[in-house]
Parts: sequence; structure tokens; C-alpha cells
Amino acid sequence: KVKETHSVASFDFKTYMVEKANKVNHALDEAIPLKEPLKIHESMRYSLLAGGKRIRPVLCIAACELVGGDESAAMPAACAVEMIHTMSLMHDDLPCMDNDDFRRGKPTNHMVYGEEIAVLGGDALLSFAFEHVATATKGVSSERILRTIGELAKCIGSEGLVAGQVVDICSEGTDVGLDQLEYIHLHKTAALLEGSVVLGAIMGGGSDLEIEKLRKFARSIGLLFQVVDDILDVTKSSEELGKTAGKDLVSDKTTYPKLLGIEKSREFAEKLNKEAQEQLSEFDHRKAAPLIALSKYIAYRQN
Amino acid sequence: TSSVSTSFDLKTYWSTLREEINTKLDEAIQVKYPAQIYESMRYSVLAKGAKRAPPVMCVAACELLGGNRLAAFPTACALEMVHAASLIHDDLPCMDDDPSRRGQPSNHTVFGMDMAILAGDALFPLGFRHIVTHTPTDLVPATQLLRVINEIARAVGSTGMAAGQFVDLEGPTNAIEFIQEKKYGEMGECSAVCGGLLAGANDDEIQRLRRYGRAVGILYQVVDDVLKAKSSKTDDEKQLEQKKGKSYVGVYGVEKAVKVAEDLKAEAKKALEGFEKYGEKVLPLYSFVDYANDRGFSFADQA
Repeated sequence: KVKETHSVASFDFKTYMVEKANKVNHALDEAIPLKEPLKIHESMRYSLLAGGKRIRPVLCIAACELVGGDESAAMPAACAVEMIHTMSLMHDDLPCMDNDDFRRGKPTNHMVYGEEIAVLGGDALLSFAFEHVATATKGVSSERILRTIGELAKCIGSEGLVAGQVVDICSEGTDVGLDQLEYIHLHKTAALLEGSVVLGAIMGGGSDLEIEKLRKFARSIGLLFQVVDDILDVTKSSEELGKTAGKDLVSDKTTYPKLLGIEKSREFAEKLNKEAQEQLSEFDHRKAAPLIALSKYIAYRQN
Repeated sequence: TSSVSTSFDLKTYWSTLREEINTKLDEAIQVKYPAQIYESMRYSVLAKGAKRAPPVMCVAACELLGGNRLAAFPTACALEMVHAASLIHDDLPCMDDDPSRRGQPSNHTVFGMDMAILAGDALFPLGFRHIVTHTPTDLVPATQLLRVINEIARAVGSTGMAAGQFVDLEGPTNAIEFIQEKKYGEMGECSAVCGGLLAGANDDEIQRLRRYGRAVGILYQVVDDVLKAKSSKTDDEKQLEQKKGKSYVGVYGVEKAVKVAEDLKAEAKKALEGFEKYGEKVLPLYSFVDYANDRGFSFADQA
């Protein structure tokens, strides 16, 4: 038992993240080569390869490896979730949506390529994500690949990511209660994080029980991700965050600190973190180290 | 063979399938929370007067090769979902800026640009999900379904319909063939090929369906252009069409368009030659070509 704890403690999270993110970046670069029509593919690559922590794809790979699968089995699915994440940001930044000029310190896609290309490039990333999973996944049964595609489609559509965006848009300027706030975050943020983990677990050959445990784990850290984001927005400076701090206050957006206060928000984050860890307790502690570290990173990150 | 083809009652065959498709689409997109997104999706997918040509071609190709039409319905519905998604985004002000579609105000005119973007973003995954969850597994092996998903994703993607829309918006002015092939040929090709894949067609048969579907898809649009040019009341309207460079007639004139239509018609029928061993089963696809050219009937609820 002591030895196990030691192995988790000694797990080098930073090296792990850098190594996996590099592999993901390489796979993304190869998945969408520059071809005709150049401008669409340039636009897709501009946003897809703009950096970012690659949390979703790494979660996907980590879940796959936890249930005994090879990294390679999950790589196309890992790329797909990053493609979807990217396209949702491209569309979210459009003038008719959030109207953001900058993203990750760079001009947003429509600022560089125009709105029409941002719409088309986003759509192309969306459909390509499915094409990529269907054609590039190797060493996994067709049944499992199909199940993965069904999961991916569910978590990003009108019962998942899009539902969160819709409720978020429709609740602007209204009094948002705790239930509604949780609905928005569970769909807008947690759904794709959940999908990332579940896709990896399916590709890795996980049992239904393992997949469901990991689903619960991912849902908790998905919500946790947003609660921490809200806390950071009011407690950190723009410099520390690398993006505009206090943005939620200025825009009068409903956040956990606004509804619960900072202290209660921190307690809620702690509770979610604990719930997430519990789901992992029955897995091999050593193999679960990356996911444990990922959830701790999400809980205690400073930017 | 043309005397045989005229004896086939395409209108009844088509009307029956069309009603079934409409019912299934209605069931597939039920309004739930958040209602706005489902209403927006339903508005475009269930637009009155939609002919459902892609689904009917898909079902007909499947039945030609001995497949059960029950195997084809979910994919047939998916074709309409992804097609509607493309059209909703194509109509946006930053794209074609079309205030109407199928005789009714376009989606963003009714639901707003943000909802129109999200409705499209939700309809793409819904199509893929519908195929995975609704196709009877005893009728279609998983490997074939993956090929269907790949086919659809590729058709709407960055080298397919999105490429057509891109060149239409900002490509070279004399690219009408490319635009017609990508914007309209892809959907026809994809519909016929998916039907074949669902029935377990061999490679040669798939190639024939590919050529057939592509030719019919373009034929349909070229004839539309000719009919529109003939019915345009004023020279101003005609000039507008020509200026946009969207119409085949606008670029080459009626005479050449009619000649092109003849060639496409012959090409489509030639592609069907290899299916003669299937006897009368080839009649739906065969008479489809004549319909695309002659428009011998319309449906009761069409404007």
C-alpha cells in the first residue's frame, strides 16, 4: 500500500503531459495536411495547431491506457475530441456568438480568415473528426469504433455541448440559479471532457463497469474544471491567467463565486475532486496515476 | 429500355418513401429542453415541400442490390440531417446571405444567427448518431456502417461540399463545374454509394453508384438552372443569377446547359448498365434520371 502511494506521488505529471501533448500535436498535424482548397485547410490548421494544453486528448489516451489499451488505439479519437473542441471555439468566437477577437493570445479564426471561412472550417473539422475516427483507428473492433462514434456524437450535439451553449445564450441577462448554472457547465464543458474519457475507455477495451466509473469520474472533473475557472477569474490577475481576469464580473456573468461566495465555491471544488478520486479507487493505483494527477491538476491549477 | 422505364410508377414509389422518411425525421428530432435548438433543427429538416431526393436515392440503391429498406432508413434520414446543416450554414449572412430557402424564411431569419450556427453544429453529429443507434445490427455489419459514416463525413467535408461552398464564395470566377460537382454532385454520389454500402455492394458496383449518383446530382441542379432561367420574369433577375456566377446557365447560357444535361443523363444511365442482371429492381434509379431531367410530377404539398 505504501509502495503504491509512493509510485503515484513520484509520478512525473509534467513530463507525462509534455510527452503526450507532443504526440497529440504530431498526430493532429499529420491528420490534416495542407491541401486544396488551401484556405479552408489553413484555417482548420490555424486553430487546431494553435497550442493549448491538450487536456481532452490526454484524458482520452490516459483512460485508454488505464483499462489496458494501447495509446495508438485511442489516438484518432483523442485527435477527434480536440478537433471538436477547436471547432466549437471557432464558432463560439464569431461576431454573432461571443464576438471574441483573440484566443490563446492570437487573433481568432474569423479575424484572420473571415467569418465565412471560420464557419466552413469549423464544419469541416466537425465532420472530419468522425471521418478520422472511422478510418484511422487501428486494432479496435468495428463494433467498438461504432460505439465510440455514437458517444462522440451524443456528447457534442443537442443533448451535450450544443445544449450548454444554447442555455448559456438564452440565459444572458436573466437571473441564473445554481441548477441552471450546473446545467450549462455540465453540457458546455463537462460533456466533451466526459466524452474524451469515455471514448478512450471504449477504444482501450474497457468493460461496461469500467466505462461507467470513468464516465462519472469525467463528469465530476468536467464540472470541477469550470468551478476552478470561475474561482481563478476573481482571484487571479490577468498576468497570472494569461487572459483577461475579472471578465465574468465585468460581463455580469453568473459564476459559482457569485452564487456561493469564494469559500463555498472552493468547498464545492474540493467535493467534486473527492468524488472524482473515489471513482478511480478501484482501479490499479499505479495505472490510474495519470488520471489522478490530471484531476489534481484541474483542481489546483493556478491559471 | 426507355419503354420499360416509363412503365414504372416513380411517383408512387417516391411519395411512399418520402412519407416514411418524413415520419422518421419527425420522430428523430422531438422537441425537448432546451426547446429553441430543437425547434430550429426541426424548422429546417422538416421544411414543407422537401422532396427527399437524397434519402430516396439511398433507399433505391440499397434495394437495387438486394438490401432491406429498413437497413437504409437511418442513413437516409442522416443524409437529410447533414444536408440541412450545410444549407442552414450556407444561407448565413456571412455566406450566401439568403433570406429564404425552400419557399420559407431561412433558419437564421427566424431563429437568429447564433441559433442557426448551433442548429447546424447539432445536426451534423445527430446524423452520425442516428445511423449508429437506429441501423438494425442484424442487417448491416459494423464494418459497413463505418464505411457509410466515412462516406458522409467526406462528402460534406473540406474536400467535398465545404470546398464547393468555399469556391462558390471566393474562388475563381470560371469554376462553375467544380462548384456544381462539389455542391450538388457530392450529395448525389454519397446518397447512392451509402445505399450500396448498406446492401453490401462490391467495389465495382460502388464505383458505378458513385458515377451514377454524381451525374444525377449535377443533372438535377443544371436542369434547375435551366428551368429558373426560363421562368425568370425580368432580365434583372436573370442578371442577378449570372452576376452571382452560381448558375450554370448564367455562365454558359441555356443551350450549352441543355447539352450538358443530355450528357449527364446519358452518363447516369450508362453507369446503371452493369445492374441489368438485377432486372426490374433497377427501375427506380433508372426513372430517377428521367425525372431529374423532365420533372414529370410534383408532390401535393409542394408550392
